Amino acid sequence: MTGASTPTHCPYCALQCAMSLTASPAASSAGSADAPSAPVTVAGRDFPTNRGGLCKKGWTSAELLRAPSRLLAPLVRGEDGELHESGWDEALDLVAARLRGIRASHGADAVGVFGGGGLTNEKAYQLGKFARLALGTSRIDYNGRFCMSSAAAAGNRAFGVDRGLPFPLEDLDGAATVLLLGSNPGETMPPFIGHLAGAQAAGGLVVVDPRRTATARLTDDGKGMHVQPAPGTDLVLLLGLIHLVIAEGLVDDEYVATRTTGFDGLRRSVAAWWPERVQSITGVAALTLRRLARRLASGAPTFILTGRGVEQHVDGTDTATAAINLALLLGLPGRPGSGYGTLTGQGNGQGGREHGQKCDQLPGYRKITDPDARAHVARVWGVAPDVIPGPGIPAVELLQSLGRPGGLRALMVHGSNVVISSPNAGAVRHGLESLDFLVVCDFFRSETADLADVVLPVAQWAEEEGTMTSLEGRVIRRLPALDPPEGVRDELWILHELARRLDAPSVFHVRPEDVFEELRLASEGGIADYSGIDYAMLDAGEAAYWPYPRGSRGTPRLFADRFAHADGLARLVSVRVRAEVEHPSPADVLTLVTGRLLEHYQSGAQTRRVPELADAQPEALATVHPATAARFDIRDGDTVELVNSRGVVRCRARLSTDIRPDAVFVPFHFAGLQTANLLTSDAVDPVSAMPEFKTNLVSIRPISEAVA
Amino acid sequence: MTRPIVPNGSTPFRVVLVGFGPVGARLVEELLPAVRSGEIGLTVVGVESAHAYNRVLVAEYAVGGTSLDAMSLADRDEMELAGVRLLTGVQVASIEREAHTVTLDDGELLPYDRLVLATGARANVPTLDGVERHRRDRMSLEKYGAALIGRDDALPAGITSLRDLDDAERVLEAVRDRRRIVVLGAGVLGLEIALAAAHAGAQVCVVHHGPHPMPRNLDRGGGQVLRTALRRTGVSVIAHSRAEAVGFRTDDDGTRRFDFLVTADGKTLHGDLLLLSCGVTPRTDLAVLAGLRTATGIVVDADLRSWTDPDISAIGDCAQVVERTEETAGRRDLPGAPSGLIGPGWRQAAWLARQLVAVARGQEPETSAPAERDAIVALKAEHVDVVAVGQVTADPWEDDALVPSRGIAQWADAEHGRYVKMITDGGVLTGFVSIGMPRTAAELTLLFERRAELPADRSMLLRFDGPDYDPRDDADAFAPTSTVCWCNAVTVEGIETSASCGNTTVDGVGRDTRAGTGCGGCKGRIAEVLARYADNEEATRLTG
Repeated sequence: MTGASTPTHCPYCALQCAMSLTASPAASSAGSADAPSAPVTVAGRDFPTNRGGLCKKGWTSAELLRAPSRLLAPLVRGEDGELHESGWDEALDLVAARLRGIRASHGADAVGVFGGGGLTNEKAYQLGKFARLALGTSRIDYNGRFCMSSAAAAGNRAFGVDRGLPFPLEDLDGAATVLLLGSNPGETMPPFIGHLAGAQAAGGLVVVDPRRTATARLTDDGKGMHVQPAPGTDLVLLLGLIHLVIAEGLVDDEYVATRTTGFDGLRRSVAAWWPERVQSITGVAALTLRRLARRLASGAPTFILTGRGVEQHVDGTDTATAAINLALLLGLPGRPGSGYGTLTGQGNGQGGREHGQKCDQLPGYRKITDPDARAHVARVWGVAPDVIPGPGIPAVELLQSLGRPGGLRALMVHGSNVVISSPNAGAVRHGLESLDFLVVCDFFRSETADLADVVLPVAQWAEEEGTMTSLEGRVIRRLPALDPPEGVRDELWILHELARRLDAPSVFHVRPEDVFEELRLASEGGIADYSGIDYAMLDAGEAAYWPYPRGSRGTPRLFADRFAHADGLARLVSVRVRAEVEHPSPADVLTLVTGRLLEHYQSGAQTRRVPELADAQPEALATVHPATAARFDIRDGDTVELVNSRGVVRCRARLSTDIRPDAVFVPFHFAGLQTANLLTSDAVDPVSAMPEFKTNLVSIRPISEAVA
Repeated sequence: MTRPIVPNGSTPFRVVLVGFGPVGARLVEELLPAVRSGEIGLTVVGVESAHAYNRVLVAEYAVGGTSLDAMSLADRDEMELAGVRLLTGVQVASIEREAHTVTLDDGELLPYDRLVLATGARANVPTLDGVERHRRDRMSLEKYGAALIGRDDALPAGITSLRDLDDAERVLEAVRDRRRIVVLGAGVLGLEIALAAAHAGAQVCVVHHGPHPMPRNLDRGGGQVLRTALRRTGVSVIAHSRAEAVGFRTDDDGTRRFDFLVTADGKTLHGDLLLLSCGVTPRTDLAVLAGLRTATGIVVDADLRSWTDPDISAIGDCAQVVERTEETAGRRDLPGAPSGLIGPGWRQAAWLARQLVAVARGQEPETSAPAERDAIVALKAEHVDVVAVGQVTADPWEDDALVPSRGIAQWADAEHGRYVKMITDGGVLTGFVSIGMPRTAAELTLLFERRAELPADRSMLLRFDGPDYDPRDDADAFAPTSTVCWCNAVTVEGIETSASCGNTTVDGVGRDTRAGTGCGGCKGRIAEVLARYADNEEATRLTG
């Protein structure tokens, strides 16, 4: 061991496991040509969320720092149609000139920015400011729309604030019952499952998932129950549980009376969802529903947690709302040792949605339409309020507008691989190809970078500093362990250089700490108030949970006394099921369920390049139930074709009873013909519940290898 | 009748709804936006003074299992705020079809463009010596109209049916006092209340004249298994017994009240309450008086409009949907009957609401409501699980040349109260019975609703209720491919390999394979794998 170690956090998911990076001894770091050894070694570091543990992704994260495929110079598309290395000045001059030109001929809103939930708070903040001041565009949004926006909308609607977990993760340790709805942390954030041990020991881990996932298996051997509803019926399941809780007199009456409004409407809205009716739609036995309702209402410490499984629907906001309603009726939010939360996915999925990357928001989770919010932020930025554009359009609509009349002519993409991760990915690819100009900032030539006119290579997590806000709303520090390779730049520097070339008003700092100091001021008085936080206090190890107004000690637990609405009460918002769930889908199609594997993160742009991870999970496999496989004449390992009106996916089949016979599972981390999102729908949740149930139905058939 | 189209829609399309039960309430709910926007003017007339409530839960209410609040389906304030005129505790005396009005019993006249009848059904009162019944043919109705319409026959003290809240109160009193209740009829509703009352502490005896309970829904095998299951829960069941007469006693206060039931085979069954559960009859009185075609119910076409008068619609338990063809138009008796179930009624209400809105906007309405398939019957009871649908009497050994595509699979375990029968046509479920197997029942329900093809190996469906349903490949915790560390995807084999390289401690294996370095929850299992490996090594050394 040589050199001091740098305390930082994992580059991947929202659990933000603590790790230490130590420079590898130079002499022994020869490595082979195709897999040079990592310049730093990774070790788990004790921290309340991961307690020194790391998953396979975290352990291998340093291998990407010197991966041979890493970009080490800007790439510019030449006359020959290929990408060629270029100098920084040349590349940045080109970007500024093209963006300026497109803006001049098509208007400011012809240029868009697409951000990511993996960017630090500083970068997310600066990106929002850059879009509004340097580009003058309203057209900015980010990939968090694909994962967190339904839960965020539901949380804002019910509680008046959206902090994924409104309590420290450690609170889960003491739970007797944890209801996990559509979440698979056993694979997506493995060290998290240590916090479920208490519920397991009490026999109270309840996992609701159409798949028998790694997490569902944690309920085996008397540790809880796995409830396996048909895909897309979560809302009905929750309404049935609410019905039972009311019908059986399990409501926490005093809590509902003193801390909520809307109970009468809610009660009426679920009167029609008695257990036997719910059974006929979800496939979950009435008996199971009754047991579950009683378990949840036992009065012991209880948590209800939602994940993408229940949120990524066209009625995701309503489904998350139903989960919140259930929690409120049981009196969980704000009760010590109990609560409701949603598990944020991306590394900075929480902070990334608070500081201006969203089309309708300004820093501090402020509404861009609120005149006071605009005036406050304009003051911090040193511009007149009317310089800040109004609300833009959300991610999916933004991507649908690519190259269309009145839509975007140019796009800048930061920390996102939209060709793989967007719904209806085929249409997104087509949209990107029809742009006049595409700029992508990334570490690698991702599938999206492949389509770019200019690719700008940026620093990786271990080479930069800043802050991240984890799934529990805690602001943590990312520290640099080494310098980026020659030729790679930090995004803050890139935004600074472009702002200068575009004659932007205000100041675009290069140092992360300077940006954070500005972010503090911009967020002050907002919902997500960071004004009391600074780097020094974080470096000293303080656990800083927002809201953290200047002079306060932060807020580890929300809702102890009041909710964030003006009257302090939570809203029980009645939601309805669209009639369509009562109608059957055609018999010869399956419901496509997409999701994640332990070994890969998001679009796989990073993890597919780590040999150990890629060797373990080299390709997308379609998981099919043996009974379904027999029906369609599919054997284990056969190549199958999944088809719907949006696209075609070809991959090999894996037979397993872990999935319901009416569904097929495909992980979405893979590229080319294995891109699961070629099949997914870009219909969106309207928040006010317009019907749509036919999304993601696919037909399946085996094809001979010769065709493949 | 056609309504003059007034520019900017200043005249709303007037809808009068008679009946404010769950189906009526659903229609109101679906129409609310159009009422708010002024396109539809809606008046609702309901006999009961309580707000619309979920009748499906009346049996629960009758045993104290739920409260009236939890059954409420409509919000009077919200309806009235939207502009609905809601008249409760009133009834319609007559319909004047020519004038397009209805007359209320208080004399008020309500004009309509479309009249919707959702009057529901009344409980049947069987022919019993000692219980008076009214005739409800057209002549009787014309003669005694006001006394009969919208009213059910008054029953003597100690005898009740179970349709509305007043009935439920009577049952609740008997249940609270742990009285002896005789239930006449073993249909699904009779069994539900019998089971719930027994569970709540009453003594319950079910009397019926068929060979087994739920004869309309179950085959013989299912019926026998159900009867055994009922006995186990403490409900006694007397089959093959036709009720003939009731006897009365006189209370201290002079009330003449039910004392015993006499059956045709000579049994005398004493009790404190006789609960009649002998099916229901559509309330067609108003329709009969207005000269509308009725059969079992008010006869409507596939568009839910009366055969006789297209400006009158009927939905729910009072409506009998018969497609009007040359053949049916000429028949005196008509096929089908109201389903008596809530699901189809709600779908009719939702469909009719769309149609009315279309008519109000001058748009082309849809021509026919979606056809209903057989409705699934699930016994709402916590301790006996019964779900059935469709024609299920066919015998698995019967070789029916008429239906070569039919398949029948059956599983019976009378000792443990389990029974499943699946009838398929071309692999698709057309009917099934499931008793005592809740997960299988839930799955079959779903498959039936979705018209899905069953797996060729039908036993897969039975295994949902088996203790070992989870034929996963790593069921053996020590199989080489069984995962030990989920965080780092390390298998038993991986740990053994590491151990063979000299890593014999949990920490040593962790450094080598990363097993146990995630959440740490698997450290105990790693130690077990290591201990087992060491034992095997030892055994190999000694024998080798």
